[in-house]
Amino acid sequence: MEKRGEILVENIIFIVLNIAFLSILVIFLLNQGSGESILEDSYSKQVALLIDSAKPGMIMRVNFENAKEVSDENGISFSEILLINDQYVTTKLNEDSGRSYHFFNDINVSSYYPEKNNDGDFTGFYVLTFSRKNVE
Amino acid sequence: MSNKKGEKLISVYWFAILVIVATGIVLMVNSFYGKTYDVRDVESKILADKVADCIYFGGKVNSLLLTPQGVFREDFRDRFMELCSLNFDVKGEFTPTPYYVEVQFFSFGDLRVMFETSVGNNNFKPDCNSKVENAEKLAKCNENQFYMKTNSNKIYLVKILSIVGKTDENTF
Repeated sequence: MEKRGEILVENIIFIVLNIAFLSILVIFLLNQGSGESILEDSYSKQVALLIDSAKPGMIMRVNFENAKEVSDENGISFSEILLINDQYVTTKLNEDSGRSYHFFNDINVSSYYPEKNNDGDFTGFYVLTFSRKNVE
Repeated sequence: MSNKKGEKLISVYWFAILVIVATGIVLMVNSFYGKTYDVRDVESKILADKVADCIYFGGKVNSLLLTPQGVFREDFRDRFMELCSLNFDVKGEFTPTPYYVEVQFFSFGDLRVMFETSVGNNNFKPDCNSKVENAEKLAKCNENQFYMKTNSNKIYLVKILSIVGKTDENTF
């Protein structure tokens, strides 16, 4: 009887270690796929390319839902994750991080703001409006 | 006893296999996610399209490119950036611009260059003809061409070369 008990404990430890090992692997994979630096990099580049192809008078609605999830987890306000200034798009999903990308289109991004629903909550979308720059 | 030893031996091998598999997955994931997105191909195409639209849009030549007599205007070359709404200024006093654009207008029959203009960093131009193994570290080039019919029914072949550097932002 005692011997059978030993085998059971060993098996349980073996299974628990296996599950722990695989869980760590899955968590690692999920973290890699939704990592801040990857999202910051991809969002800053996507927005820069959108601005490059924009024409005056256009209004764009850009999906930032994945970025919102990460910024909420990191305690960053959704209204502060996107900055467009001096021909650069900067996306910031953490206090200590942030990625910038240059765009060549000399267009005036007249406003960019996070969209809100009727309840005043952020929808996860940003709205960008474009106008012609004043040429002297 | 020997059976139990065998089981322990299998457990050790099992964990060794798990470690090998995990290491393989970590390496594969790092090689996939470790690289930044390289958007320079798309960026150079957008740049070329923007310049093409600036020169010839909807079947009409930019009114500031040609005089009413059909002669190319020199001030178009001088004001090319402003007229085509381009801004290549980057942060940093001594940072070279990561873009280059070259536009050439060829006569339809004998393909002589009638007018040309270029802006940006022409140091990237040799990268377009380079055939090295690690081409990711070079600038990305895009060549576009189209025919343009003027108001005076002259036809020109327009060739646009657009280049985007930005190696640091798009490769590791």
